[in-house]
Amino acid sequence: MSGDEMKGQSGTEALAFDDGVGRISEEHTSGAKAHADSFGIDAGVKTPAYEPGVATTAEPMTLVQIRQELKGVKGKRYWRSVDELANTPEFQAAVEKEFPGSPHAWGDEVSRRGFLKFMGASAALAGLAGCTKQPDEPIYPYIKAPEDLILGKPMYFATAHPFVTGAVPLLVKTDQFRPIKIDGNPEHPYNQGSSDPFTQATLLDLYDPDRSQHVTYRGENREWAEFAVELRNKVISTKDGTGIYFLSETITSPTLARQWREVQAKYPNAKLIQYDPAIAGTWPFRATQYSLADADVIVSLDADFLSGASFPGFHKMVREYAARRKSPETLNRLYSIESTPTTTGLKAEHRLGLRASEIPAFTAGLAKAVGVPGVEAPAYAWTDEQKKFLAAVARDLKAHAGRSVVIPGLYQDASVELLALAINNTLGNADKTVIHGQEVVDSLLRQWSSIEALVADLNADKVDWLVILHANPIYTAPADLYFASAFDKAKTVAHLGSHLDETGQISHWHIPSAHFLESWSDARAYDGTASIIQPMIDPLYGGKTAHHFFQALLDEPGLSPYEAVRETWKPVIKGDFETGWRKALHAGWIEGTSFAPNELVPEKMPGILRAPAPSSKDALEIIFRPDPNVYDGRWSNVGWLQELPKPVTNLSWDNAALVSGATLTKYGLEEDDIVELTVQGRKVNAPVIVVPGHPDNSVTVHLGYGRSFAGRVGSGAGFNAYLIRTSDAPFYAVGSMKKVEGKWGLAVTKSHFQDHRPKLFGGQGNGNNSLEADEAISERGIIRYATLDEYKADPGFANEGETHTTTDKSNTLFPNWEYKDNAWGMSIDMNSCTGCNACIIGCYAENNIAVVGKQQVRIGRNMQWLRIDTYFEGDLAAPRAHFQPMACQHCENAPCEQVCPVGATVHTPEGLNAMVYNRCVGTRYCSNNCPYKVRRFNFLLYSDFETESLKLMRNPDVTVRSRGVMEKCSYCLQRISAAKIEADKENRAIRDGEVVTACQQACPAQAISFGNINDKQSKVAKLQADERSYQVLADLNTRPRTKYVAAVLNLNPELQAGPVEHPAKG
Amino acid sequence: MAQIFDRGSNALARASLVLTGLIVIALGVTLNELQRSPWVTRQGQRPDQPVPFSHKHHVQGLGVQCQYCHVTAETSSYAGIPPTKTCINCHAQIWTNAQLLEPVRQSWATGQSLPWIKVHDLPDYVYFSHEIHVNKGIGCASCHGRVDQMPLMYAQNTLQMEWCLDCHRNPAKNLRPTSEIYNMAWEAPASDRPVWCAVGDEKSGLPTAQSVNCVTKEPGVEVASLGMPAGGAVPEAKYEKFTSQDELGHFLVDHYKIRTPNELASCEVCHR
Repeated sequence: MSGDEMKGQSGTEALAFDDGVGRISEEHTSGAKAHADSFGIDAGVKTPAYEPGVATTAEPMTLVQIRQELKGVKGKRYWRSVDELANTPEFQAAVEKEFPGSPHAWGDEVSRRGFLKFMGASAALAGLAGCTKQPDEPIYPYIKAPEDLILGKPMYFATAHPFVTGAVPLLVKTDQFRPIKIDGNPEHPYNQGSSDPFTQATLLDLYDPDRSQHVTYRGENREWAEFAVELRNKVISTKDGTGIYFLSETITSPTLARQWREVQAKYPNAKLIQYDPAIAGTWPFRATQYSLADADVIVSLDADFLSGASFPGFHKMVREYAARRKSPETLNRLYSIESTPTTTGLKAEHRLGLRASEIPAFTAGLAKAVGVPGVEAPAYAWTDEQKKFLAAVARDLKAHAGRSVVIPGLYQDASVELLALAINNTLGNADKTVIHGQEVVDSLLRQWSSIEALVADLNADKVDWLVILHANPIYTAPADLYFASAFDKAKTVAHLGSHLDETGQISHWHIPSAHFLESWSDARAYDGTASIIQPMIDPLYGGKTAHHFFQALLDEPGLSPYEAVRETWKPVIKGDFETGWRKALHAGWIEGTSFAPNELVPEKMPGILRAPAPSSKDALEIIFRPDPNVYDGRWSNVGWLQELPKPVTNLSWDNAALVSGATLTKYGLEEDDIVELTVQGRKVNAPVIVVPGHPDNSVTVHLGYGRSFAGRVGSGAGFNAYLIRTSDAPFYAVGSMKKVEGKWGLAVTKSHFQDHRPKLFGGQGNGNNSLEADEAISERGIIRYATLDEYKADPGFANEGETHTTTDKSNTLFPNWEYKDNAWGMSIDMNSCTGCNACIIGCYAENNIAVVGKQQVRIGRNMQWLRIDTYFEGDLAAPRAHFQPMACQHCENAPCEQVCPVGATVHTPEGLNAMVYNRCVGTRYCSNNCPYKVRRFNFLLYSDFETESLKLMRNPDVTVRSRGVMEKCSYCLQRISAAKIEADKENRAIRDGEVVTACQQACPAQAISFGNINDKQSKVAKLQADERSYQVLADLNTRPRTKYVAAVLNLNPELQAGPVEHPAKG
Repeated sequence: MAQIFDRGSNALARASLVLTGLIVIALGVTLNELQRSPWVTRQGQRPDQPVPFSHKHHVQGLGVQCQYCHVTAETSSYAGIPPTKTCINCHAQIWTNAQLLEPVRQSWATGQSLPWIKVHDLPDYVYFSHEIHVNKGIGCASCHGRVDQMPLMYAQNTLQMEWCLDCHRNPAKNLRPTSEIYNMAWEAPASDRPVWCAVGDEKSGLPTAQSVNCVTKEPGVEVASLGMPAGGAVPEAKYEKFTSQDELGHFLVDHYKIRTPNELASCEVCHR
């Protein structure tokens, strides 16, 4: 259905939202229609004839009507997508079927005759398949078995994921010395076992079949030694290193830094430029650290510290934030002032959306109100709402002096950091919630100027050799530097990288780099603790690291990175070195290397604190942010991250221009329209998408897309925002936007996996909402929460009005199971979950989940066993959101089991709903009957059975599913089985905490608990017994084993009046 | 128009209906038999191995214990196929020039694995664990047969699901004392071949699998013949006498804490 048609339906002001759901390519649409016609059903989305309770006359609403609708509703009202609010035909079409879009894999019409023909053939084949012999399988035993290896048992090794915001300490699971799962190091003081989507996904990055595999010189295969000799001879011939330039990603390895210092001592004129596009020019974060354990009030000034490792200290900050939210007695209060909607903002008690350039001025105002001396706040016409917000935050901060913290955003103006520092000092938060440590990565601030200097030197023909280490400047360099043309002036360019990327393609030399799981190195975590990075596996393609490059120039060019790393730590490790070294390798960190807190240096503070004035209210601001999934583009070819629906927008496989509903209206756009973004005359085309709560007159674009040489997965996805990003305005710029022809075709998963029920079966019945949203409104409440006051008045609020008793088992036709021994259950704390997606990637790796590709995601066939549903609430312009991880609920009275004609989904004696893949014939009745919509069907052969490198990655304890098979969350059955065997061998019960699911293990907020609910002493049983625990859709008598702990919000009474319509927005 | 079919066709039509029915039944029976036949299951077949390794010679003749080669049978899901090093341990000293052992020496010299053909090959969707079976009283011979009498290795059993379930639904009939796991010649107790078992450690109230002691000679007699001090430091265990597999099996089910047939036959035990 085209946009024009929709406009025709509801007048010229009509605003038809379209997030791409339900719309499939032209051929598919017509195919589905023809198919339906042949059965005498009108497949047109306008009139879904077969849905008796659906209001077939429902029309898409305008934004004004949406607001009106939201205003009229008393109490809580939730929605998952703007489509849902607007009730677009696409949305209706999406919810009518359990899989949105056409469920038919065939584009053409299948006649009755053809059907019989196919069925006859498959029946015959099925009979024959039962008789096929298994092929002979060879066994290749070792020549000499490695010591300690017990084949079939995993081994764990400690290492660390080096990342620019601080290394993430890891414990890597290996099967026969192949890394198969990455998780945080549970004993490390910094992350305590948690991880994040990036870290989890580096596993697929290791086995990426598109990694470059050969050293090449002008496209011809060469040997590393040839290159090393050539580089060394060249550098020696310069005597002092003149004309030798290294362009590297930010150096975080102490050994590499030491090697560089040695190179520099020998060749003082050799230059090192560090450049990390996503974070260059941000404040030197390691100088200031935040401890949220004692913070009662947290104010985020555009700091997105809850959504991913892009923010330094993410793992620790989320843990400390969430720890305070486990009990209503210890609640903290989070205010968020942000320029683009993030999970941090949507998680906050009170959120204020401001344009990026308004935030420094707001911060100055806040500093003034808090009583910071010498602040000059620029005059600005704040709205009443904004003034009220500022006053309330300031009062709350003052009331919690010494127990509060103000966190500045990474991508904000430098004044925000200074002002936040001043506010924290004035409030006496220093050394309590704000700790000043040593600054280790001090290069970030200088990165813009140094890459500018490099380009100047290139243009001045000063560069003989340019050695690029893990950087991709052709793709990431600021557009105003015209890096590509300067690049040609270097006489020889060598590129060290994992892929033959944009830069690798045109470099003379290309050296494949070794993944961190293949190499020796070291890195420091956020708290300064140094970890040794040890290889899990030999380099798959003989890759090298930056250590090899620098060492090649030193006196001992053959010294391996292993020996170099040992040399670095020899002076640090106390006592016997070998013992200390082995201990450090085993534990995963070197004792006594964390930063010592330093006194704050007052000289750093200027006498008068100024903030730049905001840009004009009518100016369109374009905000550049690293992508929450692929960061600066380095993980473009990681399918898991590409397919992962991004937090807040639920967009997968693309980036988009994110705008508010009002801005969309102002520019006369519809969702999925293509706009041309212009900054200083540079242009890029981007699809547009509405994000609730986005500030008006502001557009957010994510970096890292539009790659041309990323690999088979990442090339061509999204648009390249670097094309309009300049070195003078790297994080926000004033630009313009205009509509251009065409639709992009985004894949947004928001409206997927919803059930739609007419009134007759318990829905609201007006056809406006999905089942979930209908029920989120009514007392059946999928989302249940209370304010602290409400909770105090009524601690049992979560189960108030619950008409269904969960203990009554007589109310079913089916025999009840008795769970004598173990009864597995899960508890998810809605107050802790920040929607960061780490669990989903953890699940991908653990359960061999397939990546399906953009077109398949668009028609609702993504295979993630676990999804995070985002429920928005309140005003479109200033919503609150709730994140609800949703996977198989393992119902005790499961609707799926009752309808499977072949017994492929069965109940186990411990209460799991197990899938027997071999029995599944793909009727999909189970999915149809599942009220939670958590079953995933392999419509096509999604799993890659061919690619050799991916075979190494699979978890050997989980079946790789083939075509035509239903699958879903198994509560990590393989982990339960392993624990059961271990316990049975010792004739004991499984201990609480012995079974940890993959999602639970990854979660940095520790929001997920798992265990035996029959054991009343177990953590999960206690949580499930909590009066805030509730079951989702319990009145369907499914008796789900997963329970959710209802959130309690610690609202500020001054701001409690609920979301107010923004007067300036219209 | 002349008739195409004469009256005789009626009989033919009826006969063909019956015949079709018979063919369908015959086909069903054939397929049923076929998929259980050694042609499909490979039961009893001896594939060509790189070295005609004789279990009979090594186990029966030389008395090499199972775990000398299959080292992880007790600790992992795989029993383990010995590395070339294990062969070379002895064959660096004996039969150093035997033609039959040329592939072993080749493997040792070149570092290339000996490509054995899997004889006991479960489908990939079956998650079988040696360790739990071995630790819970299923002897090697229960599944693999009298390996000590096999000059060339073959599968004694079909390894089909019905065969697995046969035991999972009634494990008592195959359980034996854990001390007899590697005993190829173990036979179920009978009235002329009784077994005495005692629970060793009841301190915790939870006997462990390893603490059930079983002997095939009457314990009292044995103690007396060895001249052990009666009522000395060693507490006298209470031995129970078993004269049938059924009795012994149920005793062991209790003390090894074998899960119920209902639990053992549940799908998720082997498939995930």
